Amino acid sequence: MPARNLLSPEIQATLLKRNFLELSLTQQKAIPPIMEGKHLLLIAPTGTGKTESAMLPVFDRLIHLPGSGFKALYITPLRALNRDILFRLQWWCHELGLSVGVRHGDTSQYERRKQALNPPDLLITTPETLQALFIGKRLREHLPQVRYVIIDEIHELAGSKRGAQLSIALERLAEYAGEFQRIGLSATVGNPEEVASFLTGKDRPHAIVNIPAAPHMDISVRFAGEDFDSQVRAVERCIDHDKSSLLFVNTRSTAEALGHRLYERGDVEVHHGSLSKEVRIDAEDRFKQGKIRSLICTSSMELGIDIGHIERVIQFGSPREVSRLLQRVGRAGHRLDTVSHGTILATGFDDLCESLVITRKAKQNESEDVSIIHGALDVLANQIAALLVEYGEITIGRVTAIIQRAYGFYDCGAVPEVCGQMAEHRLIRMEGNLLTRTGRCRTYLYGNLSMIPDEKKVQIFDLVSRRPVGTLDESFVIGWINTGATFIVKGQLWQVVDLDDGKIIVEPAHSATGELPSWEGEQIPVPFAVAQETGRLRRTHAFAAYGAGALSETYADDIISSMEDSGAPVASDNLVTLEHFDDGVVMNICGGHKANEALSRVLSILLTARYGSSVGIEVGAYRIVFRLPSGIRAGDLRDLLYSVDPAHIEGLLRLAMKRTALFKYKIVQIAKKFGAIDQQADYERISIHRLLETFEDTSIQTETYRELFTTIMDVKEAARLVQQIQSGETEVVIAPLSAIGREGLSSSRDIIPPPSADQAIIAAVKRRIEDDNILLFCMNCRKWKSLTKVSRVSEQPQCPKCGARLVAALKPWEDELIPTVKKKQKTNEEKATERRFMKNANIVLSSGRQAVVALAARGVGPENASRIIARMCDGDDFYREILKAERNYIKTHRFW
Amino acid sequence: MTPEFISGGPALLMKNTCRLLVIADAHFGAESGFSRKGVHIASNSRERLRRICSCIDETDPDMLLFLGDLKHSVPLMSHQEFAELPQILDTIRKKIPFRLIPGNHDGGIERFLEPEELLPKRGALIDGTWYVHGHMHLPPESVGNLIVCGHHHPVVSLYDEVGCSLRAQPAYLLAEIDEECAGLALHENGRSTRILFMPAFFEYAGGLDVRIIHASKLSPVSRCFDAENAEVFLGDGTYIDRLGRLIKNARA
Repeated sequence: MPARNLLSPEIQATLLKRNFLELSLTQQKAIPPIMEGKHLLLIAPTGTGKTESAMLPVFDRLIHLPGSGFKALYITPLRALNRDILFRLQWWCHELGLSVGVRHGDTSQYERRKQALNPPDLLITTPETLQALFIGKRLREHLPQVRYVIIDEIHELAGSKRGAQLSIALERLAEYAGEFQRIGLSATVGNPEEVASFLTGKDRPHAIVNIPAAPHMDISVRFAGEDFDSQVRAVERCIDHDKSSLLFVNTRSTAEALGHRLYERGDVEVHHGSLSKEVRIDAEDRFKQGKIRSLICTSSMELGIDIGHIERVIQFGSPREVSRLLQRVGRAGHRLDTVSHGTILATGFDDLCESLVITRKAKQNESEDVSIIHGALDVLANQIAALLVEYGEITIGRVTAIIQRAYGFYDCGAVPEVCGQMAEHRLIRMEGNLLTRTGRCRTYLYGNLSMIPDEKKVQIFDLVSRRPVGTLDESFVIGWINTGATFIVKGQLWQVVDLDDGKIIVEPAHSATGELPSWEGEQIPVPFAVAQETGRLRRTHAFAAYGAGALSETYADDIISSMEDSGAPVASDNLVTLEHFDDGVVMNICGGHKANEALSRVLSILLTARYGSSVGIEVGAYRIVFRLPSGIRAGDLRDLLYSVDPAHIEGLLRLAMKRTALFKYKIVQIAKKFGAIDQQADYERISIHRLLETFEDTSIQTETYRELFTTIMDVKEAARLVQQIQSGETEVVIAPLSAIGREGLSSSRDIIPPPSADQAIIAAVKRRIEDDNILLFCMNCRKWKSLTKVSRVSEQPQCPKCGARLVAALKPWEDELIPTVKKKQKTNEEKATERRFMKNANIVLSSGRQAVVALAARGVGPENASRIIARMCDGDDFYREILKAERNYIKTHRFW
Repeated sequence: MTPEFISGGPALLMKNTCRLLVIADAHFGAESGFSRKGVHIASNSRERLRRICSCIDETDPDMLLFLGDLKHSVPLMSHQEFAELPQILDTIRKKIPFRLIPGNHDGGIERFLEPEELLPKRGALIDGTWYVHGHMHLPPESVGNLIVCGHHHPVVSLYDEVGCSLRAQPAYLLAEIDEECAGLALHENGRSTRILFMPAFFEYAGGLDVRIIHASKLSPVSRCFDAENAEVFLGDGTYIDRLGRLIKNARA
């Protein structure tokens, strides 16, 4: 039977009225299982009537459902989408005599009150506002009627903490409403089964309808030039080609930069999340009316907001992920029977190769998996607080039973542990198995209805040009920024002059190395598989086969052949190159962001442990820049690649990540979500480092690791890279700095300090002594003396006048004693000085430079120096002996 | 006199005719202060008291001197302080006699002290050394002495070629006082006045980098010492360098 005939006569009549003469393929396939009452995951391209597919059968049931209360909830990730859906569904609801309402952050008090008194049959809302429905007593009374929950753009939620939170909220809803029917609407994903489980929880059966997107895509890749001017010209040519286009960019700053150049045309507008609602809606409306030709937008436009017909999607720079490309290009055409046109404008060599690979994968429908979060403990803490606000008191057993029905928590046994942590910071009380709330619990929940980190941005202000130069996340600033510190933002080095009113006042700095790491937003990581295939493309040069146009192919070939001409090896999927540059080594490795992040950190940890010095890293998808002290060379890195045990990578990272900025940044964010730190906390004069130590071995730390090892680093892929190297599958060569190695970096920057305080102290003292002045005086001819720095003293000092090696290493102030040593007639006191100098020179004669170093130390004379040397230790132990002697001297001989 | 640096503190054991254990800025009750500012952690008082006791056990002093800011909340005494301080002080009293030179955070602490335990705010000369919390002008009689003070919570960060290798370690700063700047007359025998800034005992102290104490305006003395030649030591007495050179290296 055709799907249409399954619907009741009222719905069929309304369909006719709406001129729906034919149902789309998506609707044909989706309506029957929904009518049968099955939980359904519907995967289909945008613009194929997904919303109606879900809602027609739901309407069919709603019109026959008596009583009052919310009967269906339609949840979308975005307020803008809510407005759109409301607009689309209002007509149907009106025709069918159903009431519909929207409720989210922007909803007026009047509207909210109306809903509380007189709930609509269908409520369109966001996951966060759903959380709020449980808090108000009156709203809660309307929940038991819920029979249908539709989650739109579920792929956008399933892999995030917002989604994890939503999945528990649905189980909390089931406590009131019993079982309800769940319908998820999704764009193409690599793992439909898992996303469906996310929708329904572990034990409920589900159906999946999957309508592929790829056959209807026409995507081309074009090289747009390396400099911004020619890129802008390429964008303009693209915009001029079609009547209407969406221009997708990856970051807000790119959107602003392009907007700045294109405003003058008068037919282009910018649209991104930081702009006000009014500005965005205005831009959408004008686009819909055809007053503007192109809209520059970020990921917020990926979702199905209706802005009228789009002829072409232009993607500026690589889309980084296959699913993102499919979703974005899918915005064009907007009918299943028409082809979606997309053009990627590549902005460099990496970008071009990557775009070609992603396009190839998109055509073959190789979408990435959505990785469902398992056991997010901050979400759990958040929902435990929510349950307590809801019920006043609840047992651990009941909490566990509720949360384990959600797929992301089905095997989660952490409830008691998380409750213990929450009790520690006085968010709840715990008596045996019974949990009760504290006064702070409600305040916490109101401030944390959302799992999206609500980061305060701290402005960076340049004192010299009197201009803001950017912003940093507060969680980052509190741990790392102090007066005098230097850090890099937007490729420039700054020194902190002052911290004032939540602003960082800086001036340009000139030192070669940035002391502090910086974090330029959370970027879209390039997946391992994409990076590896991009590496293969570098090796096979099959640019044409990948669909590169003539211009792109010439450009890519030129880069490769200029590398080959200069004898520079090209790093690929089976070749890693290590290239020296002024401050360290560039490792070209096609591992993608997450694997490279893990690998770079593991290698730095080993380097710091071995050499006792800090290592700086910058990580991208195709290269890692190591900033190294002068003693460490590419060969040392290569040795490490061959010697590190892939099985130990995670363990090493777990031990050593604690010292890194990344970890501290994340743990602050998570402590906030746990309610241990308030959003608006004032950290002034608190040692954030000591504070974070109190989270050691708590669920806050567990969650920090969980997040780091899933969203930032991929240990498994890093281990695979190492295995490939050690099995010989991948070769490692050392080479001079090449064009590829010189390419820009993205993603993170961090400094890994040495593992023990001891090493850092010894290095500092060593540096102090090397920088100290020492007076060399020949005790043989007694005619030569020279004031020099310890660092310039040779292994075996020798008198240039007489050639003797009997050279005393004196403190600079002992200069005044030299004339007395030269005297023929000496007093007893002067003879003692001479004996002391002679002893000094003898130690230098027998032990050379080492003796000079010891003698330069504070309060170390010949007696002490020979004691130190007699211990026959070298390296750090030698300096440890010096430190001991200095401490002793300070204690007993000085000042007091 | 000779000082001994107790790294388990940081604390100082001053030995002259008697053995005096000196602890600065213990800040008991700080956790509830943090809570008011939005950082919620459990009270660590028990652990801090344990550290004090082990410093006492390790050094076997004749007396313990608190160099101010024994408690945290100002101007009002917090619930945590009411609940914890009597017991903390009692535990110490049972081990050893102690004195307090009150700091800017010690308002109201008298109620928990025996009269003889409270020394004047302006500081006191004990066994040849002048002790003061450090938040006020130095009194005239301190001139020509070694002055030991708290209040500034000095820390030092170490750097190597690449970046910061050790962050914010508790540090001592020893410097000559500029008498004129500090409003002091020169000592009649021409003896110089030296000051030793002690690190905070309190483990959550954020600390002030030694490099910026001079510019910090944190106290009347903070800008009145010879920064160029001041010397920086770690909690265990390890000599790091002259302050002038540390400042220069950080800028290089």
